[in-house]
Amino acid sequence: MNNQAIKAENLSKHFGKDDNFVDVIQNASFSINKGELVALVAPSGAGKTTLLLMIGCVEDPSSGRIWLGDEEVYNNKWLTKETRKIRREKIGFIFQAHYLIPFLNIIDNLTLLPQANGISDKEAKAKAKELLKYFDIADKEKAMPSQLSGGQNQRVAIARALMNNPEIVLADEPTAALDMQRSVDVIKMLKKIALEQNVAIVMVTHDDRMLPYCDRIMKIENKTIVFEVK
Amino acid sequence: MINLAKEDIKHTLGKFIVTAMGVGMLLGIVFIMMGVYRGMIVDAEVLLNDLNVDLWIVQENTLGPFAESSRVHEDLKYTLKSIQGIDKSEAITFQNIQLPFENKKISVTAVGFDIYGEINPINPARLTQGRILKTDHYEIVVTDKTGFKLQDKIPLGRNIYTVVGITHGTVSSGGDSLVYVSLKDAQELQFLYSNKEIQNDRARGIINKDAHMVNAIVAVTKVGYSVDNLAKDIRKWQHKSVYTRAEQKTVLTKNVVEKASKQIGMFTAILIGVSTIIIALIIYTMTLEKMKEISIMKLIGLPNSMIIKMIVEETLLLGVLAFVFGNIFSHLIYEKFPKRVVLEIPDAWMLFGVVVIASILASFIGVKKVINADPTAAIGG
Repeated sequence: MNNQAIKAENLSKHFGKDDNFVDVIQNASFSINKGELVALVAPSGAGKTTLLLMIGCVEDPSSGRIWLGDEEVYNNKWLTKETRKIRREKIGFIFQAHYLIPFLNIIDNLTLLPQANGISDKEAKAKAKELLKYFDIADKEKAMPSQLSGGQNQRVAIARALMNNPEIVLADEPTAALDMQRSVDVIKMLKKIALEQNVAIVMVTHDDRMLPYCDRIMKIENKTIVFEVK
Repeated sequence: MINLAKEDIKHTLGKFIVTAMGVGMLLGIVFIMMGVYRGMIVDAEVLLNDLNVDLWIVQENTLGPFAESSRVHEDLKYTLKSIQGIDKSEAITFQNIQLPFENKKISVTAVGFDIYGEINPINPARLTQGRILKTDHYEIVVTDKTGFKLQDKIPLGRNIYTVVGITHGTVSSGGDSLVYVSLKDAQELQFLYSNKEIQNDRARGIINKDAHMVNAIVAVTKVGYSVDNLAKDIRKWQHKSVYTRAEQKTVLTKNVVEKASKQIGMFTAILIGVSTIIIALIIYTMTLEKMKEISIMKLIGLPNSMIIKMIVEETLLLGVLAFVFGNIFSHLIYEKFPKRVVLEIPDAWMLFGVVVIASILASFIGVKKVINADPTAAIGG
């Protein structure tokens, strides 16, 4: 059985033309396995978010190939008509802030995506309740995001990213808005999820203190990807 | 399945309702404008219906007193009565006069008729107080909107008139209140000049001989006689124009009310346009406020259709709620308008249809914003 979650081959991305031409990523090749928590580290403006968006089927690469699991999704053009469907079905997203939908309560925030995937309301709610219990916020299912603390909301955001049983979770600085203790709690939680749910997690971070909790550290150096040996 | 529009509205219910009330007031004004038009049609036909006559004989080449100045001799009514097929015929006058009331002037239309005649323009069903005219001189029946009470004294021309009756809902085709006086008083008011003016006219060699003129002769035909055939026969006479009741109604609606109705139609169309733009702007603002959430929804993979459905449903609900508020608002205030406002259910349904179409059009701007929303705006802080 193939354990590969993400594979990129000669992935490049540039913006603009002529005088405004900017090369962000050049011929990056890497692979990330299921169950791994990988930190993506680079200085600001080096292309971390761009790389995350390319893996997440949001931003078009300029060239190269991308596989998500066994499915090749990009080969100098998207091989699927609906990249949004891939995101909906295969990828979970976690952001710097929780970015929960403010007008939906916690349970509705979680069940929104599965329902868009055609999962029944009953089934989606059961899964949401299971995750809320897992994250120790089962009693908050009817609360609105504004009624929860920052840490609780971030746990709900992580739960939301897992609602579609993703093969990949892409996290853009998920601890940026949290204090040290809560940040460590979140990283440990992501690590646990990666292992228990066999999910590949790519996490952009600026916080070196979080790196010891990650399996591998992926860096963008000279516009390409290098892995730091721990 | 989660209804995003419902949840979003629940989250900002107060704001949504206040917005709908604001748009509703605008739609209420649109509905009242339609009611003003309906009111004009009803007003235009009040006197026509109250008189309930079959033929109008007026000055040659004129459309009659509702549309323009018309003068015919009073004794024409006797000639008409001699025609086989004519049951009743009477002379009638119309004139705009100003009644002095509490240091101000009220514009009214005075109807003069022979109080001993067979055709009485005062509809007993509209007489709410007092009685009809019983003497030839110095009595007047007024509409309640004028503000006069029974036994009030009104100076008119050279004499003082006493209010003997009060009617309700009697207005002229122009929307002015109707008052009723005897034919003799009306002729005096309309055709008799002041002594000085008569002396001046005589010095110029003009002899005032118009005192027995009226504005129209109205007639009722006998049962079994064709109104059209009788009208055709009378048209052969010199110096007269004849209209049947249906033709006089057309004169009222086409020639008298048409321009005003077009004006109101223009106002209504502009107000509907303004309402559409306001709904569109509100939806655009509501969409802008949710752009971050919309970007997140797109990024995590929600289909556009789900987000667009939210925008369209919210717009439609805003339109429908505004329509309901508009109806309530218009029903609360329509009686306070000085002229008659008739709110009709078919008009309400038509407005509802327009509101639904306007809402769908207005939602396009929000939908366009959703389609163009960049999912990457959700990521990277």
